[in-house]
Amino acid sequence: MSSDFYSRRRVLQGGAAAMALSATAGAQVKTLRVGFVGVGGRGTGLLRQMLRMDNVTIPAIADINERNLARAQKLVADAKLPQPEGYSRGERDFERLCERDDLDLVLNATPWHWHTPISVAAMKAGKHAATEVPAAITMEQCWELVETSEKTGKHCMMLENDCYYQETLMVLNMLRDGLLGEPLFAEGGYMHDLRSVKFGATKAGPVGNAEPWRLEHTLKRNGNLYPTHPIGPISWWLDINRGDRYTTLVSMSSRGGAMREYAEREFGKDDSRAKAEYRQGDVNTSILRTARGKLVHLYFDTNTPRVKEHITRIQGSRGVYSHMMGKMFVDGVSARGDEGSWRARHEWEDLKPYKERYQHKIWRERGTAAASSGHGGGDYMLIYRLVKRLQAGLAPDMDVYDAAAWSAIFPLSEKSVAARSMPVEFPDFTRGRWESRAPINPDEIE
Amino acid sequence: MPTMQRSLNLKRSAVLAAALDAVTAGQRGLAAQQSAGSQPMTRPLRFGFVGTGDRGSAHLDILLGMDSVEVPAICDINDSYLHRARRWVMEAGKPEPKLYGKHETDWMRLLERDDLDVIVCATGWKWHAPVCVAAMEAGKHATTEVPAALTEDECWAMVDASEKHGRHCMMLEQANYSEGLLQILNMARAGVFGELLHCAGGYVHDLRLVKFDPEREPWRLQYSIDQNCNLYPTHPIGPIAWVLDINRGDQFDYLVSMSSKARCLNDYARLHYGPDNVYATMNMKQGDVNVSMIRTKRERTISLHFDTNTPHPQTGEFRVQGTKGHFAGNLQSVYIDERSPNPHAWEPVANYREQYQHEIYKTIDRERLGKTGRGHGAGLTTALLWHRYLKAMRAGVEPDQDVYDAASWSAIIPLSARSVAMGGRPVDFPDFTRGRWQSRERLRLG
Repeated sequence: MSSDFYSRRRVLQGGAAAMALSATAGAQVKTLRVGFVGVGGRGTGLLRQMLRMDNVTIPAIADINERNLARAQKLVADAKLPQPEGYSRGERDFERLCERDDLDLVLNATPWHWHTPISVAAMKAGKHAATEVPAAITMEQCWELVETSEKTGKHCMMLENDCYYQETLMVLNMLRDGLLGEPLFAEGGYMHDLRSVKFGATKAGPVGNAEPWRLEHTLKRNGNLYPTHPIGPISWWLDINRGDRYTTLVSMSSRGGAMREYAEREFGKDDSRAKAEYRQGDVNTSILRTARGKLVHLYFDTNTPRVKEHITRIQGSRGVYSHMMGKMFVDGVSARGDEGSWRARHEWEDLKPYKERYQHKIWRERGTAAASSGHGGGDYMLIYRLVKRLQAGLAPDMDVYDAAAWSAIFPLSEKSVAARSMPVEFPDFTRGRWESRAPINPDEIE
Repeated sequence: MPTMQRSLNLKRSAVLAAALDAVTAGQRGLAAQQSAGSQPMTRPLRFGFVGTGDRGSAHLDILLGMDSVEVPAICDINDSYLHRARRWVMEAGKPEPKLYGKHETDWMRLLERDDLDVIVCATGWKWHAPVCVAAMEAGKHATTEVPAALTEDECWAMVDASEKHGRHCMMLEQANYSEGLLQILNMARAGVFGELLHCAGGYVHDLRLVKFDPEREPWRLQYSIDQNCNLYPTHPIGPIAWVLDINRGDQFDYLVSMSSKARCLNDYARLHYGPDNVYATMNMKQGDVNVSMIRTKRERTISLHFDTNTPHPQTGEFRVQGTKGHFAGNLQSVYIDERSPNPHAWEPVANYREQYQHEIYKTIDRERLGKTGRGHGAGLTTALLWHRYLKAMRAGVEPDQDVYDAASWSAIIPLSARSVAMGGRPVDFPDFTRGRWQSRERLRLG
């Protein structure tokens, strides 16, 4: 049905599918040489973390904005590293950067539509790729990443910082320990009022954190446009691509109205932004099902006035963790008022004692170093693990199959929304290997 | 439709048909004599009870405490319940009720009486629709515990019977009378949340103990064996339907539903009754966690959770979201754009209580209605439900919840079963109002 297109394409390209990426795709690297593409707010933040790592150099940086470029070059020089060469001759100048022969990794933090082209160019030029989220915004791009990675033997890691949150890894430990039983259901969302970020302005004038490409997608598309923050941790917990995989998705969007209301209020009734047609429904919800019968409920909402929420919850056969409440309930352990009555009041337990007991090894060891970095320390851990793994000649924690499967929710949800919430099948980017691949292990190689 | 589902439906239709045949013949005349509840009622209102277990006894206890109520007849197959009910009626100083309880369909004899105005049905689920339809056919108004119906046929049979015989049918959804909900309803109607976009709710209640307690609700477990759907949608959807003016300005359009795998009931039986217990290995159809999404004609969306199998505290999840603001029930907090004191930060919903407390709650005798009574759930919201019902009956107007509400809220059960069975495909809601949802006035709760 809905997967016809993709499965047919698979058959046609059977030849390219032959090679699988092994976990040890490269030789050990003593000093990791990293080229940066895109050093705006996010790219610069990641560069700062990169500069804290041992045995890393930054030979080259590309950005079409020369002020950003100069700022980044100075950051590197201030860290007592050789001044990186700058690339700013237009939007495709990253291609020249990729052609250099002194880079091991190209990391890009550009607008969404550049993530795949840059990652592909890097791998084709023999470099590993690391990309901001989402790694891809169409199904074609998802496959292009997978095929390029398999063909070139180069890795592609999507920089999903949420996977490295202290609590993400704590829950991973709990699941491995059996504390929550078998995971059955998870819920998460990207729920963040980005109206001023999308318009790049309020009535008071321009804002500093403008991301105009987001507005473009809000105008033209309708689905879950930003799934990776919630789906990253959930995928680790559910062993996606490593024992299980997403098979089906249904998605539904509400009407859109909040963007126009906002534009009218901030810029006036006659402003073109107040009259524009925004295709993106204000609240999108999706349900995903896995081959092993697990369920995921996802929210996407960046148009409405709201508090930023992290509703992440995982329900196992023995217990539940709720990030939003900061609580746990474990069957047979946590208290139940009125024990033995069907009105039994299960009582949420505070996370605290569990946090200590299930603290992840890398947080135990490097929590202090991480604490000062962005996204709750996730940014430091993310870069730390990326560098460590590549230096050891190993695949990064998140590989190209994760990048593809998590990013695919964007185009798949769009397709389901357009088809009145018809179920859409996930392609199996691993081509059957999800059943035998080893579970994620973010404390390997320490 | 899968075979199992079809055969279940057929079985139910057969029961329904038999019930109808048995009661319709001599009863039509009586029905025609009585008006459609459009006449003010001055004499005592006469209730016939079918089912006086946990929940039925709560309704009985509440009604016995209200003015101008009589209970001439009671039916229950459980002798001790039946005689308890008789005792309560007599202790309240009312005439001795006639008792029915010879067999499962003895309520048919009860319906033949000519001294009953209203039937209260609080039986096992499968009897709700048959009892209500037969009651209306016999010229009585029907009220029933939730869910009112289990199949689409039953939903239509109730609508048809109500329209044909001019009798109303009210599902006793007490969740619609909580003070918190009515405040949110007021706020929504006053436009505080802007244009409404999305609502969410759930029935997340660990009922493993109940399902395995044959003394309690022996019918509950069987549904988990036979069905896979959102089996208990009315507690969350009732309040949401009021907020979104469903059947009165908007209408459910379609639904998608998915369930996780099932294992928790097997686990529970194994743990408590041993590996040889029949339920330790029995194939349970009901997935442990079910998620459904509904879209309305006016393009608002609803997410529903259903989970009575996993270890989990009750969450009180209830969300109302619009273009200007947002209510989160589990936090008892709201955020209103340009009105909440801090940008993008919750404030207690209690801050809005003074301004938006519902008129109903300003005028009721809280002490009297709020008294905890006997039976399951005999508290303020159920008492208020009956208070409102008696008021409507005495004024000769329709009760707050009518047969269209009973049908459309209950229809989620069979519709979600169909969607789950078809891998999450969208399923259209029947329009029980036959187009009148567009012109029917918003519910008045003054």
